[in-house]
Amino acid sequence: MNDQLLYTPFFENCLALVVTLPWLSGVVGFVLPENRSSSARVLAVGLMGLSVAAAFFIFIACWNNAPYTHQWNWFSIASHQFSVGVYLDNLSAMMVLVVTLISFLVHVYSIGYMASDDQQGRYFAMLGFFTFSMLGIVLADNLLLIFIFWELVGFCSYALIGHWFEKEAAAAAAKKAFLFNRIGDLGFLVGLLLLWANTSTFDIDQLRNLKEVFSWQTAASLCIFCGVIGKSAQFPLLTWLPDAMEGPTPVSALIHAATMVAAGVFLLARVDFLFTDQTLDVVIVTGAITALLAALAALVQNDLKKILAYSTISQLGLMVTAFGSHASEVAVLHLFTHAFFKACLFLSAGLIIHAMHEAHHEASVHNDVQDIRNLGGLRKRLPFTFVACVVSGAALAGIPFTSGFLSKDAILTSVTLWKGDDFSWRWLVLMSTFIVSFITVLYTFRLIWFVFMGKEKNTAAMSVHEPPFIMRLPVALLGVCSTWLIIAWNSLDYAGWLFNSFHTGENSHLTWMPFFSGGWVLLALATAYFLFRKGNPYQSALLLNNFYLDRAYQTIVGKPVLYLTRITTYLDRTVIDGAIHLAAYGQVALAHGLQWIDRFVLDGVVNGAASAARGVGSLTRSLQGGKIQVYILSAVMAILMFILWTLI
Amino acid sequence: MVPVEHILYLAALLLTAGLAIVIVKRNAIMVLLGIELMLNASNLNLIAFNRLQADKIDGQMFSLFVIVVAVCEAAVGLAIVLRVYKMYQTSVPDEVSELKD
Repeated sequence: MNDQLLYTPFFENCLALVVTLPWLSGVVGFVLPENRSSSARVLAVGLMGLSVAAAFFIFIACWNNAPYTHQWNWFSIASHQFSVGVYLDNLSAMMVLVVTLISFLVHVYSIGYMASDDQQGRYFAMLGFFTFSMLGIVLADNLLLIFIFWELVGFCSYALIGHWFEKEAAAAAAKKAFLFNRIGDLGFLVGLLLLWANTSTFDIDQLRNLKEVFSWQTAASLCIFCGVIGKSAQFPLLTWLPDAMEGPTPVSALIHAATMVAAGVFLLARVDFLFTDQTLDVVIVTGAITALLAALAALVQNDLKKILAYSTISQLGLMVTAFGSHASEVAVLHLFTHAFFKACLFLSAGLIIHAMHEAHHEASVHNDVQDIRNLGGLRKRLPFTFVACVVSGAALAGIPFTSGFLSKDAILTSVTLWKGDDFSWRWLVLMSTFIVSFITVLYTFRLIWFVFMGKEKNTAAMSVHEPPFIMRLPVALLGVCSTWLIIAWNSLDYAGWLFNSFHTGENSHLTWMPFFSGGWVLLALATAYFLFRKGNPYQSALLLNNFYLDRAYQTIVGKPVLYLTRITTYLDRTVIDGAIHLAAYGQVALAHGLQWIDRFVLDGVVNGAASAARGVGSLTRSLQGGKIQVYILSAVMAILMFILWTLI
Repeated sequence: MVPVEHILYLAALLLTAGLAIVIVKRNAIMVLLGIELMLNASNLNLIAFNRLQADKIDGQMFSLFVIVVAVCEAAVGLAIVLRVYKMYQTSVPDEVSELKD
């Protein structure tokens, strides 16, 4: 588009700014004392705003241009040169814009949402670091650097999920998120090592230009997919994400829309050339299972945020499914639309929670404000939130004229084209994708219906009013971004400006798909209305507890590990401690023995010599005591003895 | 005639008695007395053994000589006792002691 903008000093300054400003915001948040937190948050929002402006310029400059690259030498081991660098193609330009924009909106929103929190400095600092780490992943030009930022993202999410760490559930959720990510990251690391062992490079551009399939490529790509499973909460490592709802709601919005879970899908799109056909089969099955499981679990959750969390997992599963059907551009498209409408949904949920908290606070009532069974009829009380929720919920459900409709169309199209003409297991994936899109409508409808429709429950007597403007503004912006205009002019064709920039090759648009999926969604909507208009008809402990996955982990991993620790503790106590104690007692006993020998043998010899000397001395002394007659006597005795000796 | 053995027995008795006196008696003068007895026992021995060679009088001569020497010895001994008595106011040798334990 604007080739002359690249490689100008202004562009490079913008690039530096977009990365360093969030970092600076993080540092400022930590450095400023807590009683200055109001200036810290204003500063953080300002810095993020500048970062968005820079990101916007970068986006305009890079879009549809040849990738911008810049490399610096990092270090060298023997003859291997390691470099750090920036790799800016369409994908990262888009991600930079999405990440900074959503992070900025979340920052603005947090000013209102976290107004009464007493740890705002830390909160905004971690938001800044979180954004910085995600930008690092997006811009890095080699996998090693991506891995480093990948870990930083994991750490920041840990800190933010556990922001209210005095709550036990929040601390546990933070630990869980961190540990689950570590399991996935282990796979990622192994994948990196396999890559290095077989290709001797981490550089994405060099890897892309490898001509033939290298050995172990399937294993390496599977291992990298492990990292994605952890980060993007795919089956079987998906249970950390619902628990992560213990964090502040804006953080959930950030995690679910732009930074944390998006990193996994971004990584897939970044290294899509590494994935072999076998790996892609594994990927698509994982994605389909995840999407189906999470959608079913979302259907019966009662916690407002948990429904959204499961819906995120389900949508991520759809993205991974799309990726597995050889269409990474479709996954990116859905990532893009999902970022906006899911952020909007979460921030709307935050509005509801905030309004309910204030109402409860004024009325001095304590109730679980996140339980949708306690809510109802809020559309008149919170009209703005209602509209935002309906728009973004429609996008999530894939109602026509929303961005979600188009990206879901793209997914369905790609899976339909991928399944082949003959019936095989691939048809099951297609069916499950359709079922997921059906269930998505059901749970979204259920959420909105329970919260906004029907009669008011215990909120009827309270004064519920909309949260402040500073919280509504980001929601409004995100709501606008949830319409179809964000990706295409034509509301029935997903192949708009965004998709065409990623897509190479012939256009595989199916003309019947928008009508079919539109009808499918409307059918689902009718079913949902029929099912849920009377209240909550279905409840399933299996689905509520997410197929008892947590309990399964507890049984399969937790219990054996505990058992193992008990065994090792026992071994430690008895065998190792026993041996040590035995050695100690042995040493003491030996010391006692040595002491005895010392006292009675060595000292005995010395004392014996001394007393012998003394005895001899006193004997000889007694012979010469100055008594003349004694001398004579002894002389006579001696003579007598001598005589006797000679005679006998 | 008295057999030689009897004289030798007497001499042995005398010698033993003198020795006993020398060892047992506290007083230096009595010790000198004991010494005289032992000298006389030896004189008896000399005379008795002289009888084994009747043609010689070596034994008698020697015993005379012993008597003379004994006199000198007694004189010297008494003189020492006198000097000791003068110095220590005692003639008991055990009390004449300047060595201390």
